[in-house]
Amino acid sequence: MNQDSKRGLTLIAPPLAYALALLAGPMLAIVLFSFWTQDYLTINRTLSLKNYAEALSDPFYRAIMGRSLVVSGSVTVITVLLAFPVAYYVSFRVRPDRKSLWLFLITIPFWTSYLLRIFLWKVMLGYNGVVNSALTGLGLRDEPLTWLLYNANSVVLTLSHAFAPFAILPIFVALEKIDRSLLEASRDLGENAFTTFFRVTLPLAAPGVVAALLIVFIPTVGDYVTPAQVGGPNGMMIANVIQAQFRDLNNAPLGAALSVVAMLIVTVIALGTVWLARRLSRGT
Amino acid sequence: MLRTYVIAFLIFLYAPIALLPIFAFNSGSVIAFPLDGFTTDWFAQLGQQTELHAALLNSLFVGVLASILSVLLGLAAARANVRYRFPGKTAAMGLIMVPLVLPEIIVATSLLVVIVRFFDWPLSLWSLIAAHVLICTPFAIAILNASFQALDPALEEASIDLGETRLSTFRLVTLPLVMPGIVAALLISFTISLDEFIIAFFLTGSDVTLPVYIWSTLRFPKLLPVIMALGTIMVVISILILTLAEWNRRRGLRRVGAKDTGGFL
Amino acid sequence: MSLAPETEPLIRLRGIQKYYGEYHALRGIDLDIRPGEFFSLLGPSGCGKTTLLRTIAGFEGVSEGTVTLGGQDMTRVPPNKRPTNMVFQSYAIFPHLSVAQNVGFGLRKRSDLNAAARQTMVEDALDMVGLDGYGSRGANALSGGQRQRVALARALVLRPKVLLLDEPLSALDKKMREQMQVELIRLQRQVGITFILVTHDQEEALVMSDRIAVMFEGEIAQLAEAEALYRRPIDRRVAEFIGTMNFLPASVSGDRVTVAGLGDMALSELQSTATTKGDTVAGFRPETATLLFEGQTTSDRVAEGTVSEVVYFGDMTYYDVTLEGCEQPVRISMRNVFGRPVLEIGTRARLAWSPGAVTLFRPGG
Repeated sequence: MNQDSKRGLTLIAPPLAYALALLAGPMLAIVLFSFWTQDYLTINRTLSLKNYAEALSDPFYRAIMGRSLVVSGSVTVITVLLAFPVAYYVSFRVRPDRKSLWLFLITIPFWTSYLLRIFLWKVMLGYNGVVNSALTGLGLRDEPLTWLLYNANSVVLTLSHAFAPFAILPIFVALEKIDRSLLEASRDLGENAFTTFFRVTLPLAAPGVVAALLIVFIPTVGDYVTPAQVGGPNGMMIANVIQAQFRDLNNAPLGAALSVVAMLIVTVIALGTVWLARRLSRGT
Repeated sequence: MLRTYVIAFLIFLYAPIALLPIFAFNSGSVIAFPLDGFTTDWFAQLGQQTELHAALLNSLFVGVLASILSVLLGLAAARANVRYRFPGKTAAMGLIMVPLVLPEIIVATSLLVVIVRFFDWPLSLWSLIAAHVLICTPFAIAILNASFQALDPALEEASIDLGETRLSTFRLVTLPLVMPGIVAALLISFTISLDEFIIAFFLTGSDVTLPVYIWSTLRFPKLLPVIMALGTIMVVISILILTLAEWNRRRGLRRVGAKDTGGFL
Repeated sequence: MSLAPETEPLIRLRGIQKYYGEYHALRGIDLDIRPGEFFSLLGPSGCGKTTLLRTIAGFEGVSEGTVTLGGQDMTRVPPNKRPTNMVFQSYAIFPHLSVAQNVGFGLRKRSDLNAAARQTMVEDALDMVGLDGYGSRGANALSGGQRQRVALARALVLRPKVLLLDEPLSALDKKMREQMQVELIRLQRQVGITFILVTHDQEEALVMSDRIAVMFEGEIAQLAEAEALYRRPIDRRVAEFIGTMNFLPASVSGDRVTVAGLGDMALSELQSTATTKGDTVAGFRPETATLLFEGQTTSDRVAEGTVSEVVYFGDMTYYDVTLEGCEQPVRISMRNVFGRPVLEIGTRARLAWSPGAVTLFRPGG
């Protein structure tokens, strides 16, 4: 083994050991744990598929899992669609020396306490909230709207807001990397601004869009705070159920099984997205 | 038209944040419209919340230690990643970066299972620090990777050529040039740790951190105006830290003589 | 300045082999470099010239072989302990330090010097490269040419036995490059330190060096002084890499050779002869032949042909001439004398040449 390899391995050893001990180890542990069962106050350590059978067949868990995916998927699509024009504007329309100021403006809300941001949406959408006060104050409605809060829609809206910067930044980075002379070349070859966007800009921004999709999708599936705050009983998502199993219902092995199932689904969807994106980008 | 949309989007981004100072200075004890009157009482009351003080100190303790440890691990990993070729590199870096693409609830539950069910250890701030180092390290690596990549390898060779050892070269050349990256990585790690809720919710015992404390107060409307005051102060501090970070980044750019292309993060 | 070959070499490389995994980067290099010599390693990219330079500096270990410097075995000595200093291709000016701090960087460990002595040495070094008064400037406020001067001063202030220069002029524009070539020669004469220059630019190597080693694929193809390299290239690769050469098919039989387009001549008439038989290749440089004008006579031999391309260069004109009995046109360079017309494409032309300028190469190679 040459000196380079030795130095590299010496350097990587501490962070790798850390990840093995605190990530790989616990992941294996939770998989093992999910095959055990809760026997009232004790844990039965015989391996069993009981938790998985329950997690996958119980209509309640299936509904929750389905809703988590639908909500998170909607959040992802909406957030990326909302984010793209903003990223495009900052990258293509803003003067270069002003770009960092714009990114600064976009990221500031994101550095506010996550919990408080979610809570503030409750204030925005509540019975006596900003939206309803405005509607009644302006005389547009006599009675405040009650469907604004405590449902899946409010979860989608709140999460889209919370994850907007995460979607804007990778798209912005991808747009910045586009050689501007490519766009001029496209115009020179007879495309108009509109077709240039679809034939040149968008395909070249695709890696950023895929990154944005994943960066929003993965954490939102497992989000706990937003459904708990603004979701109401019909806005609950998988993390809330997992948390309940661990803390309140005291069926940790079932919670572990639900975690493993959620992780597998997220992994499959993420890998599927990457695979699909690669296929599509090769196709054009 | 695009400009109008972007402005509307910024309003959407800022609308909830704008409520923070409004209710922090509103004398009504209910967080709803219409407003009552102006007061600074809620800020004054911040000084009397001993639980909040304890939670804040816990958060600072966790954040400082977690960010320092993350950046140390991140320095080693980023250096290895950028400068050296070794067997198993892709797999090792892949594993270390996994927390970036893992829902935090998974990290929380798996560590909880290991600590409580397998080892039966008591939960403490240390278990939270360990978990925060795990999730902050990939962010530190991402930033430090860029710093090391921007560093011309010939600079280190020049130093060795001029008689310095590998160690003194690191101190005299490498460290000063990646320092802006280190500062940025510390700030990001610290901020992530300070704001992280779900892992802290699972892994703290009786010593809670600030987000866990805030979470507990959200159920008690009486405490909410004080929390609004706290949130206002936190936003101001965040803006100060961000401004500092931006200043640090520009200084870093000037130092290596690069042109500002506005790449934030 | 060329030194007597019997001088004890300053650098002695013996049997240097370097592998990167499967890739064989240096294939048995034997090389002696004399004290005070301006030596160049010349070759196309990927020929191993930079690897060889970095082997002398100590940045690359060798797989086999020995590196001796001033009689001492340096093969396993790390770069910071070798009496060599390097000017890097990117110059590697420390961006966080001032010009003076850059130049004084290597003096930090010299405990025999006090601060005043160091400052004097730095100032003298800056003076030597024409940057007096630039000491307090930031490294980022410098132009390309100034950065290179700082890199030179930083290395020379340590009085190394050997200065290694890795493509030092490649980042500069043409004017600046020509100016720096002259300055480097002056500087080398002034300090008397051995310079080893790596370059892919044959003109640069010819202008600056006492001796040149031409490298191809990890081997030294030819080691010679500039003029010898140009006049007597050892094989076709070297002849093609250094300057321009016209290659013509040739055939040797007995003590005579027939060259396509030029005709028949005795082997003994040629400038250099490679021992060969049968089909081979002959070559001559564009400036060794002339095009004759109407009525002009010559004592040289004459070949007939047609002008197929004219490239005007101001002071020079290049003519491609298709000779009778040879498909591939030959290139002739002519100095443009005032009043003499430039020939046009399609004109019949007579080419005056001399066998003494024709080189015979081994076939293939």
